[in-house]
Amino acid sequence: MLKKTLKFLSSLRVTIVLICLLGSVFIIGLWVPQIHLVKDIYLQWYRSSPQLVGFLDALGLTTIYSSPLTITLWALFFLNLALVLWQRMPVVRHRIAISDKNIIDPDKATGYPFKTSFPLPEGLDADTVLSRLRKRRYRILGDASGFYAVQNRLAPVAFVLFHISFYLVLLGGMLTVYTEFIGYLDLAQGESFQGELNRYNATPAVKLPAFGSPPRVSFSVTSIEPQVVLNTPTSISIKVLDGQGKSQEVGINTPYTTGPASFVFKHLGMAPHFVLKNAAGKVVDSALVKLDVLRRMPDKFELGGYAFTATFYPDFVLDGGKRATRSREFNNPVFFIVAERDGKKVGEGIVPKNGTLEFAGNRLEMPELRYWVRFYVISQHGLPILYLGFAVACIAVIWRMIFYKREIVGVVREREGARYLDLAGRSEYYKSLAEDELTKLFTKITAK
Amino acid sequence: MAFWEIVFFWVGLLIYSLACGGFVYSFVFRNPRVMPKMTVLVGLGFLAVTAAIIARFYSTGHLPWSGHYEYTLMGGWFIIAGTLFVGWQNKSLQGLAVGTLPLVIIMMGYGYMQDPGLTPMAASLKTVWLYIHVYFAWLSFGGYSLAMAAGVLFLLKSKSDLLEVPNPSYERFPCTERLDELIFRYVVFGFITDTIMICAGAIWAKDLWGSYWAWDPVETWSLICWLVYGLTIHLRVTFGWRQKRLAWLAVAALSTVIISFFGVNLVVNSSLHAFQVR
Repeated sequence: MLKKTLKFLSSLRVTIVLICLLGSVFIIGLWVPQIHLVKDIYLQWYRSSPQLVGFLDALGLTTIYSSPLTITLWALFFLNLALVLWQRMPVVRHRIAISDKNIIDPDKATGYPFKTSFPLPEGLDADTVLSRLRKRRYRILGDASGFYAVQNRLAPVAFVLFHISFYLVLLGGMLTVYTEFIGYLDLAQGESFQGELNRYNATPAVKLPAFGSPPRVSFSVTSIEPQVVLNTPTSISIKVLDGQGKSQEVGINTPYTTGPASFVFKHLGMAPHFVLKNAAGKVVDSALVKLDVLRRMPDKFELGGYAFTATFYPDFVLDGGKRATRSREFNNPVFFIVAERDGKKVGEGIVPKNGTLEFAGNRLEMPELRYWVRFYVISQHGLPILYLGFAVACIAVIWRMIFYKREIVGVVREREGARYLDLAGRSEYYKSLAEDELTKLFTKITAK
Repeated sequence: MAFWEIVFFWVGLLIYSLACGGFVYSFVFRNPRVMPKMTVLVGLGFLAVTAAIIARFYSTGHLPWSGHYEYTLMGGWFIIAGTLFVGWQNKSLQGLAVGTLPLVIIMMGYGYMQDPGLTPMAASLKTVWLYIHVYFAWLSFGGYSLAMAAGVLFLLKSKSDLLEVPNPSYERFPCTERLDELIFRYVVFGFITDTIMICAGAIWAKDLWGSYWAWDPVETWSLICWLVYGLTIHLRVTFGWRQKRLAWLAVAALSTVIISFFGVNLVVNSSLHAFQVR
C-alpha cells in the first residue's frame, strides 16, 4: 500500500496536476480580494456583500495564499519533487556514467537517429579528427577503430540542481516568514530612533517574529530632500546618521540596511513646526506635526485645544481667486489652515513658511517646515539561502537547457580504397536540429 | 512625444502594417515571391522604430523603459529584432513575421493609446535592476512570441500539407519536424530568460518594496506564466507532446504572457507593477 502510494505521489502526472491546481489557486487569489494584500478593497467589498464575503471567508478563499488547502498543495508539491528526485537519481547516475560499453558500431547503434558517413581526405589521419573533436569539448573513449564521444556529459546533474534550488528557495522563504518583523515607522527630519517598539505606527500593526527579536537599531534622520521634476518624483535623498556616527544616504531602491533589518522608504509627508501664541504673544503650545498631505487630501492636527485642518499646496498660486497648485514641485509650499473649536470654525487662512494665521485673538506661526518619511521596516533571516536558490535555479536551467548532451559513436573504415568516418549521433531534446549541428561539425573537422 | 519620434513611430507602424498585409497576401494568394520583399520592409520598419526610440531617448535622457507606451515600443522592438535575427540566421524562417508582426502592431497601437507623453525617469525606476529585470522580461516575451509564431506556421503548414496541391508559400518554411523543434527551442529560450527575470525582479522588489515576493497581481501572473511554460517543457520532454499539440500549447500559452504584461493592469489597479511613473 505504502509502495503504491509513494509510486503514485512520485509520478509526473501528479506533478502536473499539482502545478495546475496551484495555478488555479493563484488565479483565484487574483480575482478574490485578499485580506492581507488589498485590505481596503476587501473591506469595501465586505460592506457591499457581507454574505458572499463571509461565505468566501469560511472557505478560506480570501486568505488563499496561506489557506490550509494551498499549504497542503505546496507540501504535496515538494513531497512529489523529493520523490521524483529520489527516483531519478539512479537514472541521472546512469546517464552521466561512461565506459567502453558505450563504444558501439554506428551501423548497429539503436537510439542514435542520425547516421552518416564522411570521406576522410588523404593526409588527414583519424587521430587528428578525434583531437579536433576533443577541442570542441567532446570527451572521447576509444580510438579510430571505434569511439564514443560525448559533450556536456554532466548535463543531467543540472536537472538535480534545478530541483534542489526549489528547496533552497523553500528553506529561505520559510526562514524569512518565521523570522520576519514588520512595522511602519514615521520619522521627521531631525528625529532619532533607538529601536523602541512603541515608536512604530499602531496601524498597520507591528508583526513580531515567531523566532527572534525586533531589530536593534539606532539612528537619526539628519536631512530629507525630495526632488520633483515635471510633476514626476525623480528622487529622494534621506541622510541617516547611525549609532556609530556614520552617515548613510537612503533613497528609493536604496534602503537603510543594518544587519537583517531594512528601512525601506515608503511615503513622504510634510512636517511643519507650529507655534500657537495667545494675544499677549505668550506661547500656548507648539509641536512638530507630521501631516500626510501630499496626496492632495487635507490632514488634521490639534494644538492648544483647537482642531486644525491643513491642506497643502506645494507650488501655491491663486487661480481666478481660487487656491491651486501649479505643479507637484515644492516651489512655493503653503498651507491653507482652518481652525475650529468645539466643531465651530473660528478662523482660516494661508500660512507659508515663516507665515502666521490670526484667529480668535490667537496667532498660529509656522517658523519651520520640514519633511517626514514613512519607513517600511522589515527584518528577516534566510535571504542569503533564498538568493542562493535563485542563483542555482538560473545556473541550472541554463546548464540543462542550453548545454544539453550530445553523443556520437563512430569508426574509421576503408571502403573501395578510401577511408570513411562512419558516424551515428544523437542529442537530447532535438533530432533534426541536431542533425544540422552534427553535419556542420563533421564537415568542418573532416576537412583537410 | 518628440517631433521626430512621432514621425518615425508612424512611419514604422505604417511599414509594419504594409509588410503584415504583404505576408497575408502571399499566403492567401499563394504568392511566395512577395515574402523576401516583405522581410526587407520589416527591416525598414524596424529601422524607423529604432529611430523613434533614439529620438525619444534624446528628448527624455533615458531609454524608454517605463510606462505602457514605452513598454510596448521597446517590447515590440525586441520581438521584431528577434524575428529579423532568426530570419537572418535561417532564411526559411523569415515567415515567422506573419505571427509576430500582428502582435507588435497591436502592441504599438495599444501603447500609443496610453500616455505617450515625455516624462523623466521616476525615482523608483532608477536602479540597475530595472535594466536587468526588464531586459530579460523582453527577451522572454520575444522568445515566447517566436514560439507562438512558429506554432502558427506549424499549424498552417501542416494543414496546407494535407491539401492535394499544397500552398507554395509554405514551401519556403522549414519542414514541420524542424518547426516543431524550433517551437521547443524558442520556448526554452523564453523559459530561461523568464527564470532570470523573475529572480532579478524578486531581488529588486526586496530593495524597492521591502519584500521579495508580495503576491502582487503581476508577480502572480508571471509565476503562472512561468509554470505554464515549465509545464510545456515537461509535457514535451517527458510525455512526448510534439507536433500539433505542442504548437497549440505554444499559441495558447502566450495568452498568459500577454495577461501578465498588459491584462493584469487593465482589470486590477492594486498592482505595484504599474509600469509607469510613480
